[in-house]
Amino acid sequence: MGFWRLDHPDTNPALIDGATGQGLTYGGLRRRVDAWAGRLGASRKPLVFLLADNSADAVAAYLSALTAGAAVALLPAGVPPDLLASLIDAYRPDRIAGPAIPALGGDYEDQDRLGTLTLLARRRPPEGPDPHADLALVLPTSGTTGSRKFVRLSHRNLRANAGAIAAYLALTPAERPITTLPMAYSYGLSVINSHLLAGGTLLLTGDSPMQRPFWDLMRDGRATSLAGVPYTYRMLARLGLDRRELPALRTLTQAGGALEAPLAARFAAMADARGWRFFVMYGQTEATARIAYVPPERLKDKIGAIGIPIPGGALSLDPETQELIYQGPNVMMGYAEGRDDLARGDELGGCLRTGDLATVDGDGFYRLTGRLKRFVKLFGLRINLDDVERDLAADGGAALACVGDDTGIRVVVEGSGPASASLAARLAERYRLHPSVVCVDSIASLPRLDSGKVDYAALSAGRS
Amino acid sequence: MTFMPPPALDDRLKAAFADALQIPADTVQDDLAYRSIPQWTSVAHMALIAAIEEQFDIMIDTDDVIDMSSFAKARQIVTRYVAVGG
Repeated sequence: MGFWRLDHPDTNPALIDGATGQGLTYGGLRRRVDAWAGRLGASRKPLVFLLADNSADAVAAYLSALTAGAAVALLPAGVPPDLLASLIDAYRPDRIAGPAIPALGGDYEDQDRLGTLTLLARRRPPEGPDPHADLALVLPTSGTTGSRKFVRLSHRNLRANAGAIAAYLALTPAERPITTLPMAYSYGLSVINSHLLAGGTLLLTGDSPMQRPFWDLMRDGRATSLAGVPYTYRMLARLGLDRRELPALRTLTQAGGALEAPLAARFAAMADARGWRFFVMYGQTEATARIAYVPPERLKDKIGAIGIPIPGGALSLDPETQELIYQGPNVMMGYAEGRDDLARGDELGGCLRTGDLATVDGDGFYRLTGRLKRFVKLFGLRINLDDVERDLAADGGAALACVGDDTGIRVVVEGSGPASASLAARLAERYRLHPSVVCVDSIASLPRLDSGKVDYAALSAGRS
Repeated sequence: MTFMPPPALDDRLKAAFADALQIPADTVQDDLAYRSIPQWTSVAHMALIAAIEEQFDIMIDTDDVIDMSSFAKARQIVTRYVAVGG
């Protein structure tokens, strides 16, 4: 049975919405979900776009879509209007729900309201096949927020990953996690799914640790855990988490890219001193969220490792390339780039080639050593450098190449290409990156291999 | 430390805001607030704090970091640090 059935005692608290102060019990949430599911359903399986903002209504709408048997695509509430328009064009959703939906022209009409959310319906049924019967959720591929590429996840994927996470974190109904990440991001969503399965209480907020309301909710809501990407931990370090009065806090989790070793050691020591459990973890949206974790009691001797596979999963290495391979019931059905792809069934058979290179030690702990594909992780989001390159080249005309690491992206334009400021601004806007991690410069001619392909190694080595 | 007249402080603070949030300096007004513009994200906030600390050679307490929710509030906070420093 899925977590969306909310099978917990009626009077147990399910969530508190930090923005409104509104609380909902499991009974109350279930009634809301049942009522809304009826309004989302249709004679044919619908695709619902949900602009999700970490509110009680967004969580209820998400669960309603799962309950109604719809396929739901989660998008950040602040999705830029031009990106939303291109996604609608590619996927032709039957319904669109969100707190504030940009004007969409003639294809959609106001249908209803789901609490504070607007619900739009497509005037005419979209052309093309219905989503596959197994399809439950589509998520933007980690980080390529500027792209139309989605990950297709089944009900089974969601159930399996929520169950595995609840098991290794030993979640109980006493857990009260505060949301630090957007629910349209697989890690953020996994916190919601696993805690609803365990019957815990979600403290929902769109505020970041850089804002006082976050800490007020953390204290007043007696938060027991928080989840963060490396950037979150940099913020928490700056804000002196160890000096804050947080009597209820007992668990920290970290994923979304490698935490720098000194920061990992610092938080490991802090957790030790405060009696907190600190879980360093690894995953991909392609595996619903979670793939591996380091048991907290092993963290001190395993700093820098991604850990052991989650319950129900298995890790191995490609004998030739050392690529990390994950097998488990949470491996996605496949990718989608448009509506027609949603009709496709499972294409991976539970086996995911991660694109990461790794080694394994005698205790069975895995450690990443590099990447097979050209992508970087910034702020917990995975960004494919080839995608960025294609994207920018499509606008410009001049030859350009994109290199980078987990500290930033560098775009090198050949000759006198488009003004670097406008390229940097476009990159920052499309990928939602702070300009401090984007650098654009020009070069007389790009270094190339004999094949004519850009020599990325030479270009990266030239980085000052 | 030499006496710093308020207009200079305002200009320097505006420059730090414009730089960290990547917005034109003339759009930095008293009512500019966290979340009032898409550019003022948590990442930009970290950059902003660093820029202000460098600009005024001060170390901002964590409580002030999370209270710096608008330009007016930032002026208030920074004025306090600069006054103590002088």
